[in-house]
Amino acid sequence: MEVVGRVLTFNAFSQGLMNAADEISALVLDPGFSTIRAGFAGEDVPKSVVSSYYGVVPLGASKTKYLYGDNSINVPSPRVTIHNPMSADGNIENWDRAKKLWEYAITSRLTSAKPANPILHDKDDKVEQQDVEMDGMDEQEKPMAENPLLMTETGWNSGKNREKAVLLQRELATTTVVVMQKLTCHSFSVGKASALVIDVGASSTSITPVHDGLILKKGIVRSPLAGNYISDQLRLLFSTSSPQVPLNPHYLVSSKTPVDALAPSQAILRTFANGSAPDVTFRRLQEERLLTEFKETVVQVWPSGRLAGHDAQGRNNLEAAKNTPPRPFEMPDGYNQAFGAERYRAVEGLFDPKMALTDAAKPAPQAGWTIPELIKSSLSQVDVDIRPHLLSNVVVVGGSTLIHGFTERLDNELKAMFPGPRVRLSAPGNVYERKFASWIGGSILASLGTFHQVCVF
Amino acid sequence: MPSSSSFKEEHILLIVPGSQTTLAQLGLPESFTPARLRISTRMFPAEKKGEWEPLKVRERKVTKTVTTNGTEPTDGDISMGDVNGAEQHEEEETLYEEDPTTDEGAVWPIRDGRVVDWSCFFALLTHVHNTLSPTLHTPVLVVTQPAWTSRDHETLTQFFFEKFKTPAFCIMDAALAACYAFATGTATVVDVGYTKCDVTAVNDFIITEDGRATGMTGCGGDAMTQRLYDLLSAKGFSRDMCEQLKKNSICEILPAGTELPGENQGSQITNPAAAASTGATGDSTGNAPRGPGVDTEVGDEDQDRLKEGEADDGVLDVAGIVASGKTNEFLARKEKEKQDKAAAKKAAGEVAAAAKQARLPNSKRLKASFQYTERRSPDELNANGKRLAEIEAAESKRQKSPDLVTPTSATAEHFDTALARKEERRRHRETFIRRDIEVGAERLQAASGGTLEKIADAIHRSILSVPDHHKRTELWESLIILGNGSKVKGFRDALLGTLNARYLISPSSTTMFTSELPSTFTTPGPTGTNTPLPQSHSSTHHNPSGVNPLLLAATTSHLAPPGQSLHSQFQMQQVYQQQQQRVQQTQMMEQPKHGQTPMNIGVKKMPEYFPEWKEFGTEEASFLGAQVAAKVVFVVDQGASKGFMTRTEYNEMGPPAKFKHYRSLRLFHS
Repeated sequence: MEVVGRVLTFNAFSQGLMNAADEISALVLDPGFSTIRAGFAGEDVPKSVVSSYYGVVPLGASKTKYLYGDNSINVPSPRVTIHNPMSADGNIENWDRAKKLWEYAITSRLTSAKPANPILHDKDDKVEQQDVEMDGMDEQEKPMAENPLLMTETGWNSGKNREKAVLLQRELATTTVVVMQKLTCHSFSVGKASALVIDVGASSTSITPVHDGLILKKGIVRSPLAGNYISDQLRLLFSTSSPQVPLNPHYLVSSKTPVDALAPSQAILRTFANGSAPDVTFRRLQEERLLTEFKETVVQVWPSGRLAGHDAQGRNNLEAAKNTPPRPFEMPDGYNQAFGAERYRAVEGLFDPKMALTDAAKPAPQAGWTIPELIKSSLSQVDVDIRPHLLSNVVVVGGSTLIHGFTERLDNELKAMFPGPRVRLSAPGNVYERKFASWIGGSILASLGTFHQVCVF
Repeated sequence: MPSSSSFKEEHILLIVPGSQTTLAQLGLPESFTPARLRISTRMFPAEKKGEWEPLKVRERKVTKTVTTNGTEPTDGDISMGDVNGAEQHEEEETLYEEDPTTDEGAVWPIRDGRVVDWSCFFALLTHVHNTLSPTLHTPVLVVTQPAWTSRDHETLTQFFFEKFKTPAFCIMDAALAACYAFATGTATVVDVGYTKCDVTAVNDFIITEDGRATGMTGCGGDAMTQRLYDLLSAKGFSRDMCEQLKKNSICEILPAGTELPGENQGSQITNPAAAASTGATGDSTGNAPRGPGVDTEVGDEDQDRLKEGEADDGVLDVAGIVASGKTNEFLARKEKEKQDKAAAKKAAGEVAAAAKQARLPNSKRLKASFQYTERRSPDELNANGKRLAEIEAAESKRQKSPDLVTPTSATAEHFDTALARKEERRRHRETFIRRDIEVGAERLQAASGGTLEKIADAIHRSILSVPDHHKRTELWESLIILGNGSKVKGFRDALLGTLNARYLISPSSTTMFTSELPSTFTTPGPTGTNTPLPQSHSSTHHNPSGVNPLLLAATTSHLAPPGQSLHSQFQMQQVYQQQQQRVQQTQMMEQPKHGQTPMNIGVKKMPEYFPEWKEFGTEEASFLGAQVAAKVVFVVDQGASKGFMTRTEYNEMGPPAKFKHYRSLRLFHS
């Protein structure tokens, strides 16, 4: 348990000491770019998975209404705009909203808005009532007063940002806050003290070497080629293919008629009264939902070798891809198409910058951003002695790695790059374990006895 | 667990709290029945703060007439007329009486599926507990709303153990309970409540928390009332009228794209019943709905009057008329009557046309009317003696007044037998006024405010959040739509229609590709579970398209007699799992047909082995599920799988242990 103690970057100036730490399970909060995961330590899946996006509805000159959670942000309310408190690199920009979102994630499913146990407060109800009225805001702002909190952060988070997070957390939780590095959590989730963690999320791909439970900070590398990049590639693919693939999300379609493949859709699109149409950001979020479905059902990674390359027999891989049976997809407006070789193109950019789809606004990604290059540069930063250790423990996590064929391809790429040492790739087979790896790692960590000791210090 | 082995079926207490109605029952009957106790989920604040009453207690100011001549003071309620005492002075006194008919001032502790007032909610649970007066050996099963948090579960557990000293306690999610009722482990549960709707994808008895829509506001029954109110408030409808309209069978939700009646028809046709009872003419659409007015009654009395009216029609006492010397007068009157009759005939023609209209199904009719029961205002009710006396007077007047015919001996007899009935009706009339209200095509637009779209979107979202890709097909095909909000006529079909119109993948693309596909090709599975390690070579799942194992399991259960079906319920899970394994094995060889879902959308049918439920409908199926689950958890399993928490365990671990238990319960289900 020495490891845990060293890894934690805990906050010493938390005031409330825990008296009965063993009895109260800690809360684990793992904010990501697309979803916020929250739950109680020791559980196997986060109970609360909330969209990181929030909606803003202007109500008047100075009034705005904020919408949190999937139930409300997916309703096409008039003039609604959708925002994300995270910047593109996964760090928090809008702290006020982030705090509210975290609060929502925790109070909607885990604890209730009022921290006090109603049974205990039955008797002095009168006093309680007055208290609530007078500083009700204060009560509301500390939704998890009884539980210590473990929160994950990105490995490249600046010290200043971390301090901010800690201060903010103190507003949320009155007891204890521990900020944990996401990637340490990852390695915990797979039960390895030494690992090369490859995390392909929504906004960024990162590679972190962890040795003996310590993050080797200089070895952290990352790039923006991740889930959102694949979405952009798909948008480009749709707009440049002929016929153009219409990307109308479900909310825009009032009724559709079945049409033949490649035939223009005959759907009746929904019209909004002048000025009441949802913002373009709303449409983008809905498109993202559609693209996620597309990624799950159609998009594939060419499993062996580069798509632009040749196989062992010297045959062109692109030709081989064209010969694979196409996968059909129907858009909400009824347009349908079978996607052949093009379904491999959208993700090829993650491995091979030359194969990325480009246009004037979207240039090809930098050569150093691809996953193989990131692995190379990460390993080159760490001690030669531990490289074999890391290579024999390559951990793949993050929602975007669920794209079909991803791990197979990564394995091939690794073997091609490092033919000598024993390369072993491990990816959790369970979808949840891969999507919520950092949360699960945090859950394991926070349920260890040592975590409570850390809290008390 | 030796202590728990003694639980008996007749001791089990079930409580299913909802935003509007709380269902409860003590004991499991041989064949499961709908809930025996149904109470509104509301309590009234008592005089002392923090205490609650189950019924509204009214203060009634009663004027007591105290006479000085030593006689007992008479209750001034009815005997107001007795004012001939010599020396009197009046005293005001407050009487308290319970009023079971009102919701006024009530606190509803559950709003949007969440507990908002714990003190009130606890009082309600205590009230339910006391009403049913269970034994000391009573294990309790509470069905929780999906929106309740873990902390809520903890609080509830603490309450039951500490207040009632419950020997064993089990919390079950409403969505899971629904699955138990429908004898399925995999379903998409759409629970349409009063102000909220929950959509839960249950996969092999495990709730998919990710993407679950809990406590989604603005799409329950109340939203439909609000929509009706928005449409009809300009026509003088109150919210209460809309609520009653919604509950009436003339309010119907049409599948999307159905043409509303009346857009191309003339508006001169009217509902004959409405015309008869309200005296309204055809074009009453623009006006406030007309009732017969205060103190008139629709129903029996009108018929009585008609019967009496018939008696003096047709038979003419010619001699009398001639004798009276008013022949001319009489003839003139007769002529007028003839004209009236002609007019009536003309009216009858209209009525016939209207009758033709009436034969149309409700959804095609331009207008329809329903009976609205209105509560008298409390002021009106509170006015004591005088008011009652007025009613009495009106009553007796009406008894005599119809056509001024003195009651024959026959009617007098009838009067006697009907006296009790009339008395009852009088009491009812004291508090309620009934009248017919006519409503146009608005009655068919209750869900036009985007309710169905919102629910459909939540269903789509929930199912697509299920990580097991191959399970989505099954989830689309096994929708469970329940909750009293879905009671509105046509709701289910309309929701299915919306889902089909918006999300169904048209078969054209599939057929095209399955025919093009060379059968020897293997397309990779849709899930990305593909760690390229030989030892962790995960199985690739495909769309389950073969025999539905549940169907098989359900049919075998169906054949069993009702008593045995419960045991088979438990076995069914095992059967189900075996079947599932077999199906998956065979599917390993099959080709995946389509990665995208849904190719088919369907609803689950409730098993029919409980005759009482067959007639009752499926809206409250969660309660049936609770019975099945209670049987499994407390009686069949007897705690072997730790499906519930015992008091000993609670004492050892305290409320947070409930979390772990809740989880193990879920594991047990899977």
